[in-house]
Amino acid sequence: MSNNNDRNAADSTLGNLSGWPHSQYRKRKLDVAFTGSGSEYFRIWIVNLLLSLVTLGLYLPFAKARRLSYFYSNTLIDGQALGFHGDPWKMLRGFLLLAVLTLAYGFAARFSPLSAMAAFALLCGLWPALWRAGLQFRLANTSWRGLRLGFTGSSAGAYAALLPLYVPALLMVAGQFLFAPERPDPRAPMPLLLGLSMAASFLLMLLMLPWGVARIKRYQHGGYVYADQQTELTVPTRRFYGLGLKALLLTLLPLALLGALAAIAVAVYKPLLFWMMLALPLAYLLYFALITPYVSARLQNLVWNGTASELLQLQSDLPARPLAWLTLKNWLLTALTLGLYRPFAAVHTARMRLQAMSLMVEGDLDGWVARQSVAQDDAAGDAAGDFFGIDMGL
Amino acid sequence: MAPRLQLEYFDGRSARPQRAEIQLQDGQLQLACGLQHHQYPLGSVRWPERQRHGQRQALLPDGGVLSCADAARWDDWARASGLRDSLTVRWMQNWRLVGTALAMLLAVLLLAWRWGLPLATEAALRWLPPALEQQIGGQALAQLESHWLRPSELPPAEQDALRQRFATLVKQAHPPGQAPAYQLHFRAASTALGPNAFALPGGAIVLTDALVQLMRDRPEAVLGVLAHELGHVRQRHGLRLAVQASLVSAAAGLVVGDFSALLAGVPALLTQQAYSRDFEREADAEARRCLLAAGISPRVMLDFFERLAQQRQHAASLPIAFSSHPADTERKRFFSEPP
Repeated sequence: MSNNNDRNAADSTLGNLSGWPHSQYRKRKLDVAFTGSGSEYFRIWIVNLLLSLVTLGLYLPFAKARRLSYFYSNTLIDGQALGFHGDPWKMLRGFLLLAVLTLAYGFAARFSPLSAMAAFALLCGLWPALWRAGLQFRLANTSWRGLRLGFTGSSAGAYAALLPLYVPALLMVAGQFLFAPERPDPRAPMPLLLGLSMAASFLLMLLMLPWGVARIKRYQHGGYVYADQQTELTVPTRRFYGLGLKALLLTLLPLALLGALAAIAVAVYKPLLFWMMLALPLAYLLYFALITPYVSARLQNLVWNGTASELLQLQSDLPARPLAWLTLKNWLLTALTLGLYRPFAAVHTARMRLQAMSLMVEGDLDGWVARQSVAQDDAAGDAAGDFFGIDMGL
Repeated sequence: MAPRLQLEYFDGRSARPQRAEIQLQDGQLQLACGLQHHQYPLGSVRWPERQRHGQRQALLPDGGVLSCADAARWDDWARASGLRDSLTVRWMQNWRLVGTALAMLLAVLLLAWRWGLPLATEAALRWLPPALEQQIGGQALAQLESHWLRPSELPPAEQDALRQRFATLVKQAHPPGQAPAYQLHFRAASTALGPNAFALPGGAIVLTDALVQLMRDRPEAVLGVLAHELGHVRQRHGLRLAVQASLVSAAAGLVVGDFSALLAGVPALLTQQAYSRDFEREADAEARRCLLAAGISPRVMLDFFERLAQQRQHAASLPIAFSSHPADTERKRFFSEPP
């Protein structure tokens, strides 16, 4: 901000005759375009899928590198495509490491409660580090105009960001440990203290969720680097609570309405209950097809509109309703075609999400230079991100 | 004269695009940019894959990027310079080959479902410790007891008599030491379960009071039902289903996974149904074998199926669990075949 003032001051003292091209001082809006095609991605997807299945999954990192390259080379910011530099052989290493970890976890979880607890604790301990490594790998291997992006979030920051989500879970486990009877009698009602501690932990989790999401996003969006620009997320936590409240209302209102309707229907005509039972899974599906995109569209706008560096300001103007309809259409067609529509769905969703984005840049990009050459060798984090479905929101 | 291509070059240190010209010569990529000249061995450059859409970017080993917005011009230059598409790219760019890939994909899935999955399950079963099976079964029983089951209300004498007769039948039907270990549990169940019996991983067999009462005048049919459940125990069907379910959902996750966990669950459910029908047939065969070995006619089961059908008509319950069993007519025919 102070820069702006200085510059304005300089402009006025020199009578706006500084000799610099005026355009350099103006903000310029860079649009994002996506040129991928569903039919082309379908062909890539089919061959990737066949090779992945035949190699029992070993081809997955190569398939992923190709998929990312395709989406990147079709994502044009101000007419320049993104570049993906990730080495699939390194990604394979990370993928194998994670596969071993997950298998060990799955096995331990089934073997005995104690080893399951130990494995869970280990995973909780490792997860933030893997998450950070994934962000580092992905950003460091993404370039635009020949400059690599970067991620500067620290390990300690990753643990601190995820802590609020761990606290209620820990409380729940502690409650089990303290209040659960030695030999549970299935017919006896749940002990009061156990029930209370469970309910309290759940309520706490619900209350802390928006705060947790805010912390996570603040960590992610506070670590992005391009040239000498480091971004920062300046959205107050209360706006995450606002979004959470809206989502909660959108969940509870239809539920209450449905309950009331069901009560009336059953009072009038009893066999209707059977048909309502049949319609319930459909309503459930419909609900998720509509509410999930609504929340994610609002979240994308909230987070990206609040992301800026000194000279860069990101913008997102993703309308919730079209995204919800698109998602519903994608689900239906994917189900009807037994999954074959999925690549088309992925391309359509990417187009809608990406083209809603834009960048405001101050100054002349041509003069920007790399801060340092960013190299990140460990791809384990990237595979972890993919494995557990952590997405960077774009 | 090797063909040249004009494009934009980023040196990896500055965001400024520079006009540059490239050509392939002496097995090297020659890059001319203003007064600078660079060359790179062909193998050290990461070449773009040919596709219809998107820009072409070649990634240079020193962090530089060659960018060509006009994809067609790049493709012409690459072809004229003798850069060959990889096998995978040629495959992906040809609709007919993609059709073949789709057919192969379906064939692979079919093969995996028919042979691969049972084989993988078999291997996994050999690896899993028996303690694990006991534990899963114990948890399942505890779960059932907390929601559906109560202690049996049958007179202890009746329970003991059935226990005795079944033990004898098992002894007669198997060579010494070969009989699978089982534990028989008598339980009263809620009406939703009705006359029922089921086997759990680890060898627990649960028999509901309603079934014993339904066949009180034909205890041989109860023995047949128990022998059917023993068939499940012997083939470790419970654990097999659990292992198969995890394998199928892992494979389905590969296909539609990150799209929706719900959609990925559907194939798992469908295969589960189909496999469990096969398992029921196997268990029926075991029941028939045991009955014959004990000198009981398998036709006693016909009465059981008939009474069960009547019972089902009276109680207008939801047909939840029945799709996993073969049709009644098929099972009746199987048990009425002469030995």
